[in-house]
This record gives sequence, structure tokens and C-alpha cells, in this order.
Amino acid sequence: MSQDPLRYFRVEARELVDQISAGVLDLDQHPGTEPVARLLRFAHTLKGAARVVRQQEIADRAHAFEEVLVPHRSDEGPLPAAELRELLRLNDEIEAYVSAIEPGEKPAPAPHPQAPGPREAHAAEPAPAARTATADVDDLLDAIGEAHARFAPLRTGGLSLERLHRAAETLADQLRTGRATAGTRAARAAAVRLAVDLGAFSRQLADTVEQAERELDEVRGRAERLRLVAASGIFTALHRAVRDAADAEGKRVRFEGRGGDLRLDPQVLTLAGSALLHIVRNAVVHGIETEQRRVTAGKPAEGTVLVTVERRGRYAAFLCTDDGRGFDLVALRRTAEARGLLTPGDPAPAEDALVDLVLRGGISTSPTVTEVAGRGIGLDVARDVAEQLGGHVSVRTGTGRGTTIELVLPLALLSLHGLVVEAAGTVASVPLDSVRTCVRLAPEQAAAAVMTGKLAYDGEAVPFLPLARALYAGSTVPENAGPGVAVVVAADDECVAVGVDRLAGTSTLVVRPLPELAPAAPVIGGVSMDLDGNPRLVLDAQGLVAETARLGTLGAVPSPATPRLPILVVDDSLTTRMLERSILESAGYEVDLAASGEEGLEKARSRRYGLYLTDIDMPGIDGFTFVAETRADPELSGVPAILVSSRASAEDRARGADVGASAYVVKGEFDQEELLAHIRRLVPA
Amino acid sequence: MSPADVGVRLAGLREEFDRSFAEPARRHDVEYAELLAVHAGGRPYALRLSQASGLHSDRPVTPLPGPQPALLGVAGFGGAIVPVYDLAALLGHALPERPRWLVLAAGAPPLALAFHGLDGHVRVPATDIVEEAGGHDGRDVLRGMVPLAGGTRPIVDLPAARAAVHRLTGHNPHVQEEP
Repeated sequence: MSQDPLRYFRVEARELVDQISAGVLDLDQHPGTEPVARLLRFAHTLKGAARVVRQQEIADRAHAFEEVLVPHRSDEGPLPAAELRELLRLNDEIEAYVSAIEPGEKPAPAPHPQAPGPREAHAAEPAPAARTATADVDDLLDAIGEAHARFAPLRTGGLSLERLHRAAETLADQLRTGRATAGTRAARAAAVRLAVDLGAFSRQLADTVEQAERELDEVRGRAERLRLVAASGIFTALHRAVRDAADAEGKRVRFEGRGGDLRLDPQVLTLAGSALLHIVRNAVVHGIETEQRRVTAGKPAEGTVLVTVERRGRYAAFLCTDDGRGFDLVALRRTAEARGLLTPGDPAPAEDALVDLVLRGGISTSPTVTEVAGRGIGLDVARDVAEQLGGHVSVRTGTGRGTTIELVLPLALLSLHGLVVEAAGTVASVPLDSVRTCVRLAPEQAAAAVMTGKLAYDGEAVPFLPLARALYAGSTVPENAGPGVAVVVAADDECVAVGVDRLAGTSTLVVRPLPELAPAAPVIGGVSMDLDGNPRLVLDAQGLVAETARLGTLGAVPSPATPRLPILVVDDSLTTRMLERSILESAGYEVDLAASGEEGLEKARSRRYGLYLTDIDMPGIDGFTFVAETRADPELSGVPAILVSSRASAEDRARGADVGASAYVVKGEFDQEELLAHIRRLVPA
Repeated sequence: MSPADVGVRLAGLREEFDRSFAEPARRHDVEYAELLAVHAGGRPYALRLSQASGLHSDRPVTPLPGPQPALLGVAGFGGAIVPVYDLAALLGHALPERPRWLVLAAGAPPLALAFHGLDGHVRVPATDIVEEAGGHDGRDVLRGMVPLAGGTRPIVDLPAARAAVHRLTGHNPHVQEEP
């Protein structure tokens, strides 16, 4: 049990301070009785809590804050500017005291916050807080890991139980065959009952363990999500920076934040927040015109600074848009010329190109502090952040129309809901927001989709990609039952159906980028961690669409990455030929087709094959003859042959062996596994 | 055991304990090199332990489809995701069976190399090692040789192997972080 009396107060005070900070700015922008009442509530709660834990300085300032607000309880109009400034000052002081009692801070002496005012744009200062209880979440994740480890004995217990179940069944069987006396009858009945009970218990245990593990996985995903923070966490600080800068400049500026629900890695958010702090301040100081000029230019008297946060695939974009005067392109051009980036007299570059040029040249180092250079500092910070995290900065500006500065940063961690799928023994997740629907496939539907590379869905032929083929590109696909479900995935207005073996539920995932030294196919969007801390692939919707298009142009044939010899399929039935081809191609083999024994012999003599796969009953030369003829040819006798037939009699099998077939597969009991096992045995990799 | 026996035994232990402080501390001198004798792709090699930051066996490696045949996939190490490269493939003689041992190369970004067999850990006088400035085979991953029981083994230089992986992946060494 913690002896720290401030443990809970810290959490509550931090929350209240955040609410007060946001509330004061809200009151500034939208005056009314409701925000006043809300602020009074927060301040009053903080005062009470602070008194309980003997934080007199905080209690006193919360009280003073209340005193300012009480007379305005029923005022609909805005607060006098001086009083609002006093609220902001008290807010800053409370904030400083609350920060001082946070772990890692020196408890005393109490700080003396500066009066709000224009701060130096390049001064070092704390970035907007993007707080998260990371340590607590890590503890929670450890605890989940522990809990998961406890499942291991349960799983092995389940296997032992299954063995007991089988032993009981065997016992019951043995008792059945013995001589029936009254004693053995009773024993047999008991053994049967035991087997049934054990079987039921074993199934129940297996189900429960599986379900509990799935739920634990979900808990882990949600806990990891807690490590991420909402983007709105930086808005209050940005709003405040805009307000302070506007106050100092004597301008009227409204702040708006959009996309605050997006949850991001705290590190990315903190860095983006610190860059945006400079950018919004510059937007107010250098971008937004004075009230008078705005009115003259036909703009609203009040300027606007809009900060938008949005996800773009694996990136987060932070946009700061102002409706001010835009960059002074003439001055920019002069700066560019002065720095030797442009030769005087060159044809004028396009606006964007000019801005980019100066941005890349780094105008912040310009010795003359001009308005343009002032802009440069904010851009420099943004550029540093972008470089640090592997993102980029761009600027769109129009003289008189305003400026948008865009900072795009890769997301180290991104939380999303995923559909967990299995294909050829590999578990992967598809971001749920890109999944349109899932369609169960009957075996013949699956074979047709694999064969044609298309799936009929919603009245359209959607391109079909067996996931196993994408996951094992360049290597042999392990034998698998073939797709049982098609997951229809949409990206950029295009749909593809992805064939997977089965669905294994949904899960909350935290997606991490691939490590630096692990280049991957575009179908892979990142990796998440499973309960055991092992990486699990997360697919990328855009990548799946692109890969399907790429394979489609190759005629739905996987690239022959392995230099294995091709297989010749001889069968007079189109269906069988196509079915066998799809099976073999999914397993990574190159396949040639022949529709008759004659054509088969012709092809066999024209190219080197690794294996012949032939039907028996065909018009003209039958399969036995085909095998016998190829055995008789010294050039071809080394190529193994497999007979595939609906004939299942022992005589036919014997005849097949006589003519020299290496294996005999019966169509009626056609087993893809068995066929591939034969082929793997016969065709060296 | 009688009380007298216990007394004798106790006295013995005490004496041993005291003596351990009286003796000069044993030192691991720089003239010795710690090596791992390994097998990769059916051939014997040695690795310098000082260039490794961890050794693991039978870690699940998630295969990753992509352009690098030597990249076996990614594995999780304490919450970090680490690419795993086949050492035999880097040396140009890959085997079909997947290697079961992983050695983490020191430095950044994270990198693990996989090999098929661990023959043992040996400590040899540094003078036994035949140093070489460059590599052989033009592959630049092997640096020097060491005579061990069972024959002389080429030494796989992990920083050189890392450099080879960086070249393969087009990783820019200028933006490389310090370990």
C-alpha cells in the first residue's frame, strides 16, 4: 500500500487543471453562463481536494479563481479582458504548483510562473503535455503476461485429459470384445461412461482455455492502447499559445482543433506538439493581420488558426492553417537570392517551389531577422522533428490567402482493431476498418476463385488473392486446405477478396512499424505482438490491393522463384486439369497442361519436367500407356509419374506399379495433402 | 550428522570463505578472447562473444515475405521486434533447414543472426587467433581464423556481418544511431 498521501491528488489535480486550462480558453472564445458555472465547479473541487492534502498554495489560488468568477455567474457577455487575464495567470500558477508535486519534480520551493505574455519563439520550454500512465500500463501488461503463462499447465492438462479420454475409449472397446459376463458388462458400461465424461470434460476445458486466452489477448490489446494518448491532449496548450500571442499582438484570433480523437504514441504527439507550438505562434504573429487590415482586405475581423490531426495510413498529419496574409513571396525570393539559392534574374519559380527551396535552404540561420526569418524558426523546429522521426514538412501559402503548414510523422505505434486470419499456418491481422465483409467459400468456389483470380461478390467480379500466395511469395507454400473464407478488403476505392483458411476473431492491436533492417513485401503494414511477445504480421489494405494487381498482371501465376522443374498434368477433363493446376501452383510449382496422352507425350519430349501427373482413362493413349512409354524412353524414364484415377481397384493399382508409376492417387478419395506429399517426395526442391 | 561433525564442517566453510578474500582477484585479461564455436550451413565458424549482445535458441521467428532471401523473419525480444538473418545465407551457403540458434549482434539498429548449431563456448589466448586485416572470399564477413579442437575455424566478424546486412537493405549508415 502506498504511503504517498498525494498519490491520488496528483491524478485528480492534473485532470482538474487540464479542465480549467481548457475551460478558461473556452470561456474566452464562447462567453456564457455555462462555461462560468463549469469553471466554478472545477475550481471548487480543486480547492476542496487541495485542502484535504494540505496543498494550501493550490487551494488559495483556486479560491482566488472562484472569487473572480462568482460575480459573473449570470453574465451572458464576455468577461472584462483584465479579469480573463487574471484567470489565466491564476491558471498558470495552479498549473505550476501541480507540476511541482508530480514525480520527478522538486517539491519546493514553489515556482513563480511568469505573467502570460509573448514568449520568445525559440525559448526552450516544456512541450505540451501528452501524458500517459506508461509505467502503470507496463505493469498491467506484465501482469497479463504472467496470467497468460499460467495457461501453459492448463493446456498441457488438456492434452493429458485427451489421452485419458482415448485410454478410456480403448478400454471400453477391449471390454466389448471379451466374453460377456455380468461382471464385464458392468465394467464395460462403466468404461463407456468414463470415456464419455472424460471426452465432454476435455472439450469443455479446451473451449474454456481457448476463450479465456482470446479474452486475455483482447485485454492486452486494450491495455497497449492505453499507452497511446488522444491527440486532443495538445490542443489546450496550442490554444493557450494562440491566445497569449494574440493578446500580446493586440489581435483577435480564434483557435480550433480538429481530429482530437486520434490516439497516438505519446512521443510523436509531444514532439509534434512542441513544433506546433512555434507554428501556431508564428501564424498569429506573422500570419494573421491586424483587425483593421483584415477588415480592409474583406476578411472577418477575427483571424482563425486551425490545427487538424489526421491519420494517413501509417502516418499522422498535423496541419496548421491560418487565414492570414500568407508568406511574403517577394521577401522570400529576396532571401533565396541573398542565400545564393536563386540567381537574380532567373524565371520566377512557382510559389510552392519557392517556399520549398527556402525551407530546404534553412532561412532560420539568416542573420537578418525579418518577418520571413521569424517564420523560419517555427519551420525549423518542425523540420527537426520531422527529420528526427523520419517524416516531412510542407508549406502551402498564397499571398493574402493564408498559410498551411503540414507536418507528417510516421506513427511508431498505432492502435487499431484487427480481424485475425490464418493462412497456411501463418496468423496475420487485417485492419478491421478496411474490411468490407467476409464470405464463406465452398471448396469448389475456392478452387474456381484460385483458378480464375476472381470472386463473384455483390454482382461484381472482385480480384481474388489467396493470402498464402502473398505470404509465401518466393518460397513454397506449405500444404494447406486452401481458402475457406474470402475477406473483402477495400482501399482507395478498390476492392479485393483475400482468401484465408479461417477467421480467428477480432482483436485490439497496437501496430508497430517493421524494424529498419527488415524490408518486407507491400502486403505487410507492420507487426503487432501476440500474448507470448512474438511478432504477428499486420496486413496493409493498400498493399493487398497493389499485390493483387501485380499478380493479376502475371496471369494469376505466382512468380517462379524456385528453379524447380515444372510438372506436366495430363488429363482429358478440363475441371481436373484446372483443379490440379491450382493445387500445384498454390504450392509453388510451375505447371504445364496436356489434354490427351498424345499431347502429353509430345510435351514430355519437348521440355524437361520434374514430374508427370496423369489420368488413366483418356481417349487414345491411356495413362498406363503414357507411363509405360515414358519409362521406355531413356530420356524420360528418370522423370517420376503419378497416376490419378477414379479407378480404385487393387488390380489397377498393381498395373500402375507394373508400368512404373511412382504413386497412385484415387480421385474419389482425392486428398490434396496426399498428392502434395507424393510430389514433394518425388520432386527434389 | 553429529554436532561435532557440523562444527568441523562449519569451521571448514569459514576458512574457505575467509581464504577467498585473501587471494588476489582473478582477472580476465585482455589477452584472452571469448569465442562461440558454431555451425552455419553445415560449416564450422567462430564468433566473438564480445561482439554479441545475446544468444538464444528456438525462438519463434515470424516469416516475413519480402525481397531479402537471407531475411528469415522477425522475432520478439523483450518487446522489441528484431529482424533475423540467416548467417549461412549471408556467407553464401544457405541450407533448407531453418537454423535454431540466434545471436544478437551488438549495436543499432537491432539485428539477429541465425545459425544451425552451437558447438560450444571457448576461451583462447588472443595470440592464437590469426588476424587478418581484410576478409576473404570477397564477402568481407569473415575476419581471421582460430585453431580449435577439430580444426581451424574462420571467425565471423559480427560488425562486418551487420555492415553486409546494411548494404543488402540499403540502410544508410549516416543516419545510424549509436548503440
